[in-house]
This record gives sequence, C-alpha cells and structure tokens, in this order.
Amino acid sequence: MISPVKIWRRQEEIRKILGYEGKVISWTKIFVSGLDFKKFVPYFVVLVELKNKTKVVGQLVDFNGNKLKIGEKVVAVLRKVKDVKEEDIIPYSVKFKLLKE
Amino acid sequence: MIAIIGYYNTRFGELWEKSFFDLTKETAGGVLKNNGIDLERVGAIFFANMLAGVLENNLHSAAKIAEILKVNIPIFRVEAACASGGVAFHLAKNYIEAGMTDTAMVIGVEKMTDYSPEEITTALAAASSGKEQEAGLTFPGLYGLIAQYYLNKYGYTEENLAYVAVKNHYHGSLNEKAHFQKAITIDDVLKSPYVAYPLKVLDSSPISDGGSAIILTKDKNLIKKAKYKVEILSSHVATDSISLTDRKTLDEIYASKIAANKAFKEAGIKRNEINIVELHDCFSIAEILAMEDLGFWKKGEGGARIKELSTMYGRGSDLVVNTSGGLKAAGHPVGATGIKQLGEIFLQLTRQATNRQVKNAKYGLAHNVGGSGGTAVVSILGV
Repeated sequence: MISPVKIWRRQEEIRKILGYEGKVISWTKIFVSGLDFKKFVPYFVVLVELKNKTKVVGQLVDFNGNKLKIGEKVVAVLRKVKDVKEEDIIPYSVKFKLLKE
Repeated sequence: MIAIIGYYNTRFGELWEKSFFDLTKETAGGVLKNNGIDLERVGAIFFANMLAGVLENNLHSAAKIAEILKVNIPIFRVEAACASGGVAFHLAKNYIEAGMTDTAMVIGVEKMTDYSPEEITTALAAASSGKEQEAGLTFPGLYGLIAQYYLNKYGYTEENLAYVAVKNHYHGSLNEKAHFQKAITIDDVLKSPYVAYPLKVLDSSPISDGGSAIILTKDKNLIKKAKYKVEILSSHVATDSISLTDRKTLDEIYASKIAANKAFKEAGIKRNEINIVELHDCFSIAEILAMEDLGFWKKGEGGARIKELSTMYGRGSDLVVNTSGGLKAAGHPVGATGIKQLGEIFLQLTRQATNRQVKNAKYGLAHNVGGSGGTAVVSILGV
C-alpha cells in the first residue's frame, strides 16, 4: 500500500500541471514493463514540453494508433496510475491526450 | 604512479548454479590467485553492487565479504546504478592517492537472473526519478525516448542503431567469458521484438550474472614484481540531473562530456592517441551517443559513422571499441560492468586479449554510465 501521505504530497505537484497543453518532444512504446504496469503493456509514454517550457513525462491515453509524430499537441489530464488492492488509496497522476485541432 | 596489476572476471551469463556470494567468493579469490597477489597486501576493498539490497534484502555486504575473505580491513560498498564499478574504481584510486593504503581491490558483482523480467525492470527503475517511475518508464523506455529523439533529429533509422549490436556481438564471439558468443546480422536485429520502441531485444544489453575484480597499487615492489601492469593516467566522475526532463538536450549525455574532457586533460593525451575504448553500450543508441560525447565523432554523425564499422576488430582501424563485446554481448551484471571494462583495457594493453588482441595498443579509455546519464565515469589507462 502506498502511504496516503505520500499520495497527498504528490497531488500537490500534479494539480499544477493539469489542463496544460504542450507538444511531444519524444515518445516510446513500452513492451516490457515493471511489475506495476504489466497488465497495461504495450503502452505509450511521451516526453512533453508544456507551453511554459516545463518538460514532463507521462503515458499517452485514449490513443489507438501505432506511431506518434514528434511535435504533436497534447493536453495533460488526470488518470489512475495503477491498480491497487480493494481498500488502498488509488494513486492518480498526469497522463496526456492528443489535442484535437 | 598507481597501476593495475591484476584482473579477473567470472563468465558472464545465466549462472544458475552460483549465488550472489558464490560469485563474490570466486571473483575475489580469482583476482588474487590468478595474479599471484597475497591477500595481506590488500589494505582496502571497494565493492560495487546495485541490486542486492533491492532484490535479495542483502545489504551490509562489506561484512559478508570480510567473512568470506577472513579479513578485518576497510570494505566499502559503492552504488551508482550501472556506474557502480567505475565509481568504485575512481574512489579506490583516490583512497590510495590520499595515502590510506598502498594496495586496494575493486570488485563488482551482480546476481540478476533469479528474477523475472518485470522484477528486474522494477528494480533497475530504482535508478530513475520518481516521476519517470510513475509514468511507467523503464530503462529501455528512457533510452527509447533518447533514441527516438536522436533518430528524428538527425534523420537516421533503426538500421543505423543495429550496426552497434552487430559489431559488439562479433566481438562477443571472440570472448570466451561473454554472455553471448554468437555473431548476428543486421536482419537479426531488425527482426527482433521491441522492448521499448524504437529499441528491440537485440539493441539491448542482457540481464546477466557475473563478477569482476582488479587490484590497484602504488607499492613500487608490487609493481616491479607484477607480470602485467598498466598505469592509471586519469579517472573522473561527473553527474547530471537524474530526470531526462531536466536535461538541456536529449541527444547527448552531458556528464560523459564533462568526465571525458577532464580525463583527457589530466592524462595529457589526445583523442587520436586512444587505441582501445570500452564504452557503455547498455543500448545501441548509447554507443553512438558515447562516441560523440567522448569526442571521437562529431555530434550527429554517429548514426552514419557506425555503419562504416571502422571501430570493429579486424578492420585495421587505429581505434577499436568494445572488444569485450560491450555490455551488449559480454553481458551487463550491473555492478561488475565498469570493472570489466577496465579489465578488458588491462588485457589489451598487456597483450593478453588472445584472439581479439588489438596490435600495439598503448592507451585505452573506459566509459561507464549510471542510469540514463545521471552519472558518468571516464578513466584512461596506458602502458
């Protein structure tokens, strides 16, 4: 179980990024993951430069394609990080969605 | 003068019959016995290991080594992810220079194949930032981001990367202690499954068990009596942000550039005087970046230069890279890697590299990287 205090500390940071738009600087698609993400493979991870020039990494969600283009525009959204046991606190973090023009 | 007067490494690979401490015992005993060095001459031991604490609940390994060797000397565990070996060597050299002892053993051991790929992937990710771990990034994933950026910026393809694996597997086929001793083709690499796009299985170093050790000394009598010896001309460590997001650019490992510039300056030699390089090719893209960051190739040219295979053994080049097979083919038991790199340079400079011996090698460089570039060590040896 992740400490609730740890999750609370992280949420303080995440809220500052939510809703920000940015562009993909690089991306990868993970086929072999760590234990926490095994059920989600394969999944995309993007390195994004936000409009305020901050760089952030996060998974790309709601995307059914095989390849991305560098430079594509994305927006930061809130999503569950991983599955937890029934009575654990669910950790949320920033992931990205493609921004429709 | 501080010299390396002995080297030993175990076979690297899936060593199911050997435990973490079996490997430690074999490695420490091997470096003493094979080089005719009395344990009583060793005044300190620097032990490089990354994962025993995470995977095996095995910390305080210094005391375990004291138990194995039946000594009471200072023993220090060094951890800097995949650069643990290089940093341990650097610290041992400084320890001798500071006058704390005349002779030290540097030993690196890792036991990795008792665990599933997901368990190892999680353990290795401990060397990345919390934000990267939260995003589900793995080490292949981090280097996948770097590779994607590099290929896109300079107009290369996955085929350019594949040449690194072909070269280093050929070298591995000449090394009887390498994890993989089979040559492969460009087609083999391109047809292997993806681990983290655009990196494939054959772009990646394997999960390996293994140990390696060297003996350093400034004792003039020991140096004089040693059958084989090389001089340590310089060793420098540099660091950078652990997160890729906090780096200035993704197409270089800045810490490698800093460490290399300092190492060349202290050694007083030029790039074109180096004959042998053992560099950190944890993934194919890493060798291309390293050749650029160490100053052997210009930035952005590496993707094209690697296709010439000029750094392959047997091509008559003045510079041969990763004759051991590199991390890619010799294997990557994390804590042992940086010491094996120095050991391969030692073998080459003392004409012990048998069927992969580079003629007239006088200077060699070892380059060891931790994480995705948060730590880099560059050491230059000469005869």
